[in-house]
Amino acid sequence: MFQEIEKIYYFIKRDVISFSTYKTNIALMVLSALFGALSYAYLGSNADMQRVLQLYNISFTSYLLIGMAFSTYIGQALTLVQKTINPWHLEEVLVSPTGLGTFIIGSSAWGFIWSTIVVVVYLAVGSLAFGVVLSINVAGTVLVLGLGIGALIGFSMIGAGILILIKEGDPITWLIGILTSVFGNVLFPPQVMPYQLQIISYVIPQYYFFTAIRLMMVGWSIQMILPEILALSLMCVIILPLGYFIYSWCLKTARRNGTLSWF
Amino acid sequence: MSEIAIETHCLTKIFKSKIRNLEPKNSILKRKERLTVTAVDHLNLKIKKGELFGLLGPNGAGKTTLVKILCTLLPPDEGEAYVNGFDVVRQQMDVRRSLGTLFSVGERGVFWRLNGYRNLEFFSAIYNVPRRKRHERIMEVLDLLGLKDKAFENYQKYSGGMKRKLALARALLPDPPILLLDEPTVGLDVISSRSLREFIKNLSEEASKTVLYTTHYIEEASQICNRIGILNKGKLVACDTPNAIKSIVKKGEVVEIRVTSITDAQVEAVKAMEGVIDITSQVEDSVLGQRRLRLHLKNIDSLSQVLHFFLKEKIKLIDLRHEEPTLEDAFIELTGRGLEE
Repeated sequence: MFQEIEKIYYFIKRDVISFSTYKTNIALMVLSALFGALSYAYLGSNADMQRVLQLYNISFTSYLLIGMAFSTYIGQALTLVQKTINPWHLEEVLVSPTGLGTFIIGSSAWGFIWSTIVVVVYLAVGSLAFGVVLSINVAGTVLVLGLGIGALIGFSMIGAGILILIKEGDPITWLIGILTSVFGNVLFPPQVMPYQLQIISYVIPQYYFFTAIRLMMVGWSIQMILPEILALSLMCVIILPLGYFIYSWCLKTARRNGTLSWF
Repeated sequence: MSEIAIETHCLTKIFKSKIRNLEPKNSILKRKERLTVTAVDHLNLKIKKGELFGLLGPNGAGKTTLVKILCTLLPPDEGEAYVNGFDVVRQQMDVRRSLGTLFSVGERGVFWRLNGYRNLEFFSAIYNVPRRKRHERIMEVLDLLGLKDKAFENYQKYSGGMKRKLALARALLPDPPILLLDEPTVGLDVISSRSLREFIKNLSEEASKTVLYTTHYIEEASQICNRIGILNKGKLVACDTPNAIKSIVKKGEVVEIRVTSITDAQVEAVKAMEGVIDITSQVEDSVLGQRRLRLHLKNIDSLSQVLHFFLKEKIKLIDLRHEEPTLEDAFIELTGRGLEE
């Protein structure tokens, strides 16, 4: 077990060293995070959507900042498994005595650490520059993050599996990305849309994730978001095993056909 | 304890793909046709512990497919394969712990933004090199390959030879008993290639490593390998010591002739002669039209037929030598084609 954790540490170390060599890119990413936080907070403070947001009992500024901050986690979770199928390194790692689980976690760990840094930047800008008041339920946040990431990793595995077979263009990740931005409760609440469209929001995990995470940021208890927790848990139970089954089948098929690194 | 490091029984790998049929008469439904390629065909092979075994074959002969099956990347369709006594399908982790693998495109598996040392540090972790021994082992391997001074230099600044050596260093890190080296010298200059070959030979002789060395460079295989297997269209057509394989062509005679002013059509005419088993032609000087012909004749009497043709066609003879058969002659004899075909 310790050996596997240590391997994950070396995956992170490798990615941090690689990342640190792109100095201009780091500067641009930090600036993007700051600029994004400032622009969404400004937009939120001037928009007239307070009526709808009475549902959530938070200001539109808080709504937007939390949505944008945590959408980086969703992005990471959605592309998590795809990152492991880098054809340049896939075969080299698959011939080593390292399990697929360690490989997937190790390859994506740095992405989640970076997402956490982005969340901290967004929330700090919100608090310091726009007076967003946060009262974070840490245990609840971790639970919601775990369930949300779990459900989306299921989609990520389905997308990665398809990508392994068709080699270019992953329709699942593309579709989930679109659904997140329009129906995911990231930039605006789905309640502002016609009811027929709202239904789409209610069947995707992103809606429940963003609803629950916002409430955890303003100090609600886990019991108060039990419906969202149940919905996310149910989606995890269905999507995660389905994704693992599809990913394993596609990986096995590509191995059998000898097309694993044909990108 | 078994003396066999690598063993295969009736090992077979078939690739199936669909290809587009460009015949305009075919209907849309028939436009894609199934193509089946048997990359490895009922292969039986035994490589002893400590042996440096060369696997020769032209492109597409099945060398890389065999390496990928042995290192657990590809599952076989039929037959069995064992590495260090472990089954490549059922005991994958044990197989991986027994192996160091270098793929023909070794640079792909190296992280370009990390220096040599950091690359090896990462791979030593995922290959379970004990933490306390890690630094010592990395420096030892870098020293063995002459890269110690370049350990902390950016990988992008490495020459082609250094990049191949680093890829080999990665394979050596866990100190595995068996090495699978897929065309390790491909793309290297003469000096780098020679130094890498010598290093691999020493690994087998001094460190008692079993090495499976695939190549399509006949001479390098005959220089360093204890035994050679010739793979053609997935089948092992010969497997013996280099000298024993060369003796396959002993039944004929090999003559090397340097000539000027000979055309391709004339070379073909010589090839069609009754006493000529095979001929290879190499341009030595395109301006003077000078070529080196290597003739494999049924017997030495057949030479008079060839020389008579040269006289008739006014082809100038510069040099003529009776040669010992090489591994390449044996290869052509066995497969009916040259390695570059």
